Amino acid sequence: MIVCAAVIGQANNPLYLETFQQGSSDDALRFHYIVHCSLDAVEEKLALPRKSPGEPSDAYLGLLYPTEDYKVFGYVTNTRVKFILVVDEPVPKDEEMRMIFKRFHAAYVDAVCNPFYSVNTPLTSSSFDASVRTIIMTL
Amino acid sequence: MPRQCSETCLELLALELVRAYGRQSRVPPAAAVDAIGFRTGRQLAERYTANRARLGEPLEVIKFVCKEFWMEVFRKQVDNLRTNHRGTFVLKDNTFRWLAKLSVDPAPPAGAAATRAVASVAELARDYLVLPCALVRGALAHLGVNAAVTAEAAVPPACEFTVTIKPR
Repeated sequence: MIVCAAVIGQANNPLYLETFQQGSSDDALRFHYIVHCSLDAVEEKLALPRKSPGEPSDAYLGLLYPTEDYKVFGYVTNTRVKFILVVDEPVPKDEEMRMIFKRFHAAYVDAVCNPFYSVNTPLTSSSFDASVRTIIMTL
Repeated sequence: MPRQCSETCLELLALELVRAYGRQSRVPPAAAVDAIGFRTGRQLAERYTANRARLGEPLEVIKFVCKEFWMEVFRKQVDNLRTNHRGTFVLKDNTFRWLAKLSVDPAPPAGAAATRAVASVAELARDYLVLPCALVRGALAHLGVNAAVTAEAAVPPACEFTVTIKPR
């Protein structure tokens, strides 16, 4: 089950972070911390050399790192926007995660193509929030 | 299925955009059109790169712009790409579709008209190239390549775009 979803901008600035757990507001802070820590793992994965020159690299980064309670998954777009999902037990399969990220990305693209959205500002659109919630719920 | 729109509508919109901003006097027309193009370029880059493998080097980004981006926006690929390997790329499109239907008022007097007409179509093209330049610049910037883009159409509709990557 996904407990937190986040979108991080090109300059590692948070654009969107939502938690999907009933709990106190401390929770949000904790997830901010987890997501923040995961950015180092993202940088590390991006710095890895390709297996062979010219081989396409995948946007899906897989498991970034496990914390005590959760597992953190990452995805990076061509435009250096990062998607982070914090997952609770049971951990879904890689293929499932990939699909979730793809749909998350599609929702993000729709949100930024809104003419009333200005680039690199927090995503406050309620329709984006709604579509993220639908995606999260499918798991 | 992505939403589609007729190419004619897009052409008319691009024409009207230049005309509308040319007539008002609050902002310099080129700057206004440039800002619109830059923003749109960024959004298009976001959309068109969504379902493809990650791009790395600036050269890969330029190739993406020449092939896929050009195909989506201008309905064909760039005909020729040259580079000096020092950050300057020249993208040559032999029949740039956005300029294909551009023409000046029929020159009234005969005689020197032929040469003058060509010169003025090229001049006219300059206004209409601001938007494509800004689109390309926006897409490049969004994909991590900061560059200056200029275009020149000496003999429309053939058109040369020069992309100069700015050092960080």
